[in-house]
Amino acid sequence: MTKDRHCPLVDLHTSSPNAMRLNRLTRMSRRDTLMTGMAGVGVLAVGNVVAAEPATGAEPELERFMKVSTRLTDRACLDPRIGKALYERILQSGPELKAQLSKLATLLESGNYENASAFAKAAEQADPAFKDVIHDIMTGWYRGVADGKVVVYRSALMFDVTKDAIYPKTYAAGGPFYWTTQPPEVDKPTGAPALSPSKFDVEPT
Amino acid sequence: MSSDQNLSADVVIVGSGVAGSSIANELARAGISVIVLEAGPRVDRQHFVDNFRNLENKPSYQGPFPSTPWAVHPPNQMTPNQYLHTSGPNAEAYQQVYLRMMGGTTWHWAGCAWRYLPSDFELKTRYGQGRDWALKYDDLEPFYYQAEVMMGVCGPDPKVEDLGSPRQQPYPMEALPISYAAQQFRKLITEKTPYRVVHEPQARNTRPYDGRPTCEGHNNCMPICPIGAMYNGGYSVYHAEAAGAKFVPNAVVYKIERDSANKKVTAVHYYDPDKGSHRVTGKYFVIAAHCIETAKLLLVSADEQSPDGIANSSGHVGRNMMDHTGVQVTFISGDKALWPGRGPLETNVIDNFRDGDWRGDRGAYLVHMVDDNQVDFATQLAISKGYVGKDLEDQIRYLASHTVRLFSHNEALPDPDNRLTLSKTHKDALGIPHPDVYYKLPEYTVRSCEHTRGLFKDLIGLMHGTDEQWTPGYFPQDHPSGSTIMGVDPKDSVVDGHCRTHDHENLFIASSSVFSTVGTGNITLTVAALALRVADTLKKELLHA
Repeated sequence: MTKDRHCPLVDLHTSSPNAMRLNRLTRMSRRDTLMTGMAGVGVLAVGNVVAAEPATGAEPELERFMKVSTRLTDRACLDPRIGKALYERILQSGPELKAQLSKLATLLESGNYENASAFAKAAEQADPAFKDVIHDIMTGWYRGVADGKVVVYRSALMFDVTKDAIYPKTYAAGGPFYWTTQPPEVDKPTGAPALSPSKFDVEPT
Repeated sequence: MSSDQNLSADVVIVGSGVAGSSIANELARAGISVIVLEAGPRVDRQHFVDNFRNLENKPSYQGPFPSTPWAVHPPNQMTPNQYLHTSGPNAEAYQQVYLRMMGGTTWHWAGCAWRYLPSDFELKTRYGQGRDWALKYDDLEPFYYQAEVMMGVCGPDPKVEDLGSPRQQPYPMEALPISYAAQQFRKLITEKTPYRVVHEPQARNTRPYDGRPTCEGHNNCMPICPIGAMYNGGYSVYHAEAAGAKFVPNAVVYKIERDSANKKVTAVHYYDPDKGSHRVTGKYFVIAAHCIETAKLLLVSADEQSPDGIANSSGHVGRNMMDHTGVQVTFISGDKALWPGRGPLETNVIDNFRDGDWRGDRGAYLVHMVDDNQVDFATQLAISKGYVGKDLEDQIRYLASHTVRLFSHNEALPDPDNRLTLSKTHKDALGIPHPDVYYKLPEYTVRSCEHTRGLFKDLIGLMHGTDEQWTPGYFPQDHPSGSTIMGVDPKDSVVDGHCRTHDHENLFIASSSVFSTVGTGNITLTVAALALRVADTLKKELLHA
């Protein structure tokens, strides 16, 4: 079920760095937070959460986009609010995108791909045009950008991937001089690219 | 159209950046009446922070600061450009950006607050190159300190780390502790090369200062410090207004009026956004409108009395354009994770090439290891390589923690042929011509850049670097200078050692446009020191008249 793949939604207001600091200052304990969460919305999870809107069957193409997205990110769940915003914005980037996304979903439904790489490889083999569509999806989730517009910034997955080491610009929360400490070591990855390479143009300043 | 207001003050200042606002503050505190005319709008920080967060191209320093139709500034460093039209063999190397708005371009500077070296003021005497300034380092030293106190500059104890510019007073704040990445870089340079990495002096708080908080390391000094821990000209505007100075936003000065003898300036005229014209009279006038706009204003004010423009009997207004042309490379280190981008952007410098006997042959330079958050760059690079899913996430972590960027400031020389003129083809909404700049890199600078490339290659090797990406050619560092050059001889310079124009006794210029040479350190502290010296001169003349 797609529903199962949706994350418990983080309340972006109460989980902001400032709010987290405020929580510490007001000695709000994890237990307090849990109690609030349980009393408030009945969701059993650690941290501040709000109820996820149930996945709606009213937007089947969006649901299919979410399935493709979870496969291409190798993630168990993704935020459906961000997914909806990304999907709508990606559709703006060209008249062909709706049909292409639908075809990509059909490909996913037709096979059993063990991971993102396997699916992406198969997709580019099936139709070279899928490479750009997958780029759009990756750029959407990881950079938070679709159709050249920022859909989300702080919640882009690139910051989730690196959150043990570094803050998104303008959202530092470590206090003065946090930067003098040693960040985590990172081993050289062993994975291979799934798609053929694309030209990378650094944007002008 | 004429104004229904009678605007007049002891001192009329054009431009509200670091130079104009700090002069206004000093004069207003001394009880002198001041009007500051700012071409752009009054702005606030949070608006720019929101703009930044919503900007797709995050490295675009101009991106969060759109210009107004009546005070256009360059939208980016692209050639051709919508506003600053460059030409010549190195047109791209002079594609400067700056801001026309209340507080000026320090809305997006990195806070690097270098003093020039004594030798920077005597390049001709010491090395036979360029020119000498019409002042010495010692003349400026007290004003450097005053500027450091005004901005709130942190820096190293000279007994521990001597940056080469003698100090009578310690820095107002202790040096900023450098990041883990910069510590590792310093260790490498110290152990493996004959060079050194020093703390960069910065107008950034290492403790609460002047009502502003301690730096929290948001890594966004450019384009916008989100908490005001870094100084910008806006803070001098606030102080000056509190002291009684009057600031007029959206006032685009287009004409400088003189008396019949052409010896004294009598008024400046400005357009409001609807092109209503206003006349502002005063006893003294200061043009503090940025290197490019200052020269443009002097040229655009040409009339029958001064067909070549104001203060231009030498013909040097708009000439001698200089910058710190840069060399830049980005690569992936093969050593341990650095995670650049934790803390402020620019904190450390290799300073061994700021001065030496070789300056008779090639320009000086300094090197920044940029402490810039590389997560977005890493993500774009990894996606372009074709990674998806878990492999993409692994690549993002690896590239973001191992990407290193080096860039340099290379010294230019004043060459009269490198020249700003008024565009014959482009005008803004008020009918004022855009600036054109012809630029050819001096060979002196080219040789300096070649030396830098050699150093960078050595450093890449030491860090077992791969995937080198050299920024093509030479790129502008947004430190334009020289367009109203300082000198002792009125025949080949525009202002004297006190930044007073040779031609008009009550007209001063406070800008990097007066620089006779450009050295290597970022220009802002020297601009501020020169401006505070102008304020000192004005105070003496007005209060003791």
